Amino acid sequence: MKKLVLILKSKLVWIALGGALFGVLFSLGVYEGLHRTSDDRFCIVCHEMKPMVAAYRNDVHGGAGKSGIKVTCVTCHLPQDNVLGYIFTKAKNGVVEGAIHFFGNVDAIDWQANRVNKDHFVKDEGCIHCHVNYRDNANISEKGRSMHAHYASLKNTDQAVGCASCHAEVGHQGLRSMLNYYHPEYDYYKGKLDKYKDAVEKKLAEEMK
Amino acid sequence: MSNKETMSRRDALKLGALSTAGLAMLSASNAMAAAPTEKDVKFDEEYDVIVIGTGFAGLAAAAKAAERGYKVLILEKMGRIGGNSVINGGGMAVPNSTWQKKYGIQDSGELFIKDCLKAGLGINHVELLETIVKRAQDALDFSIKCGAKWQDVKPAWFGGHSAPRSLVTDNMSGSGVIKPMHEFVEKLPGCKIMTRTKMDDFVMSADGTSVVGVTARINYRFDPKLFSDDIENKTGEKKVYKAKKGVVLASGGFSMDKMFRKLQDPRITPDQDATNHDGATAGALLKAFQIGAMPVHIDWIQQGPWASPDERGFGVAPLLTQQGLFKLGVAVDVRNGKRFMNEMADRKTRADAEYVILREDPKAYPVTIGTYNTFEEQVYPIMEKGLTGGVMKKFDTLDALAANYKIPADALKETIKKYNEDAKNGVEDQFKKQTLKEMKGKEAIEMKGPFYAIRLMPKPHHTMGGLQINTKAQVISGNTGKPIPGLFAAGEVTGGTHGASRLGTVAVTDCLTFGLIAGENI
Amino acid sequence: MRSKKTLFTVGFFVILSAVSFLIASEGSPPPASPHVAMTPELKEKYPIKAHHAKLSLRCTDCHEKQGDNPEDFKAIGDEGCLSCHKTKQYLADRLKFMDALHVNPHNSIHDGPKLYCDECHNEHKPSDNMCLSCHSNDVKIWMRKTP
Repeated sequence: MKKLVLILKSKLVWIALGGALFGVLFSLGVYEGLHRTSDDRFCIVCHEMKPMVAAYRNDVHGGAGKSGIKVTCVTCHLPQDNVLGYIFTKAKNGVVEGAIHFFGNVDAIDWQANRVNKDHFVKDEGCIHCHVNYRDNANISEKGRSMHAHYASLKNTDQAVGCASCHAEVGHQGLRSMLNYYHPEYDYYKGKLDKYKDAVEKKLAEEMK
Repeated sequence: MSNKETMSRRDALKLGALSTAGLAMLSASNAMAAAPTEKDVKFDEEYDVIVIGTGFAGLAAAAKAAERGYKVLILEKMGRIGGNSVINGGGMAVPNSTWQKKYGIQDSGELFIKDCLKAGLGINHVELLETIVKRAQDALDFSIKCGAKWQDVKPAWFGGHSAPRSLVTDNMSGSGVIKPMHEFVEKLPGCKIMTRTKMDDFVMSADGTSVVGVTARINYRFDPKLFSDDIENKTGEKKVYKAKKGVVLASGGFSMDKMFRKLQDPRITPDQDATNHDGATAGALLKAFQIGAMPVHIDWIQQGPWASPDERGFGVAPLLTQQGLFKLGVAVDVRNGKRFMNEMADRKTRADAEYVILREDPKAYPVTIGTYNTFEEQVYPIMEKGLTGGVMKKFDTLDALAANYKIPADALKETIKKYNEDAKNGVEDQFKKQTLKEMKGKEAIEMKGPFYAIRLMPKPHHTMGGLQINTKAQVISGNTGKPIPGLFAAGEVTGGTHGASRLGTVAVTDCLTFGLIAGENI
Repeated sequence: MRSKKTLFTVGFFVILSAVSFLIASEGSPPPASPHVAMTPELKEKYPIKAHHAKLSLRCTDCHEKQGDNPEDFKAIGDEGCLSCHKTKQYLADRLKFMDALHVNPHNSIHDGPKLYCDECHNEHKPSDNMCLSCHSNDVKIWMRKTP
């Protein structure tokens, strides 16, 4: 009993216990934080992400498939090879994109033009994490498999290509159309696609309730 | 007479090296033997009916024949289905139609024939017009059965017609008929469409009197750069197809045949633009002549008076003028600001009137002018295309308009003032324009503006002439004066129906009606 | 006792990997295409489109089963294009926003999604937009240059 009191009186123990508690709570917080900021519900908080989220939700990767399985935004858009890199990129993107959202002019962003850099925005390891057997899956056409072999042979060379180099709208079915409903590529379309945008907004509002 | 003799040496020089080569080859091919007989060939495949062409006439004939249980092969030389039909404006004149009854419009078959004869300068083959009067509604119904959709609105009033009698497809293009008909035909058992397959020759019976098949080339690739694709193009691999019941020739007109059209009307230069698709050439028509088919009205080539020099092909001007500026607006001679024609007259009258000006000054393209009230609702979406593309221009004042086209402003204003007064007072204007009757008490051209304008130039549009057919769509032989067994024809490849000049929206009627008849009779 | 457990574990993994091997080996990587050595002369004679060049595509990726002599290669036709580009309907759907104004070249009012690819698109020479033959003035306001 005395021993116990002594132990309780020792600062070291309190520090240790406090540390442990803090650790657990911090981890929980980080986990929750990472988790809650990983999916479309978080990303759409910034309105400029609406077309991307709407197109994503029409895609097999966004729950439109038979199974309804959804791949979170970060699965494809953040590096997955190590936890630290993941957290660091996520934090960095959060700060940069948050700053653009609050202090920049998001309406001036030419999303359609930015799609040229789609390889940069899509992390292949996220794709391959699920599509492990992309080289020999019998469900892929012969042409697909031979192109995937081509992809693999270019990896780590200066000619390396990304999954999104060919799979142009992967993860966001109808992305180009969706972007056009919000920001038409040609002046001729301006004001004429609003009813399609309204329909998209209505559907999103329903689904995000 | 050889072809070298029909063209002067100067002409041949003018046409350049390409054409010279083309002519040389034409002489060569003419020197070759006539159509092969069944003894000369080995058939690769056998069908009941072979249809040449996938326009309104060809598809209607094929659909009807296939519906009757025949095995039908359809050959199309172009990669695209539908030829001119698929780029046409989708208007079909149907006298006494169910539409007219529904919308309370008075019309009669006699009135329709009278209109056609007036535009056709009386040289129309009236029995063919009578057939159209009898069967146009059937043809319309058949198109609907195949899946075509026509706008459920009051029929439109086109130039030269005494009554509103033209239906328009829901997408305002002939494709509104061709696309569903194409699908209809594809689904019918035993029906097969082959694109990029060119018919080369008829195959005749052993005695040379009847048509029993065709020779063709598959994997043929039309080349618009050639002076005469029919003669010079050697692409593709040869096949021979047997047609047990016969062949329907629905290969269309020749408005884009640089050589043949100039032969008929030397005013049409090889580089002159037309409203037609590149493949509208005379090759198949000439093959029918070679086996004895009788030619009719070959040199009557209709030019569209509603086309514009400021765009290629058919473009948007024909819609913006016919369903717009011509209705309540005016067309003026830029040199004096005066009207020079009834803007709603038939095509030939108008094209000739424009040519009178253009022959005096090839650059003085007439200008048609009107205000917003003249446009039909259906063309609102086209207006922006016209404006953005630069074919149509918009001005706030008549002075600005006159300055742009170098029209004497005072004369132009005087012309419009008089025109508006006549319309307002219900007085018949100098050109007896029929659409002004509805304007009583109102300005035809709204003086508050803004004013819309389009420059005009006639473009070859429809070749009136072609094969002689009877009311059963059988092709008549010049050797016997009787039908050539096994040969039917329908559409623009035939001649006589429209006489000197076809009224607007009667082509679709002609093609669908005689296509249907060919399909019924084969 | 322990050895029994080990044996069991090893056995389990053997079976598992056998199963996964079977699944994985259902489709094997296709045989490599014959090789055409790229020379500057060939590159100049048969230039390819930038979006294809970016993928480092080789002659025989498109000209499959046509041997290894570029002079003998034939046009690959719709089937060749669509072996990568899926279907004409898929391509039309990707430009769905253009349907709203009836200007989708892959689903035009005239032809629907039925034209031959090479009616407009060429690989070794500039493409030629068929729409221009009638809509010479207004095509530029609703679509870019044909890739």
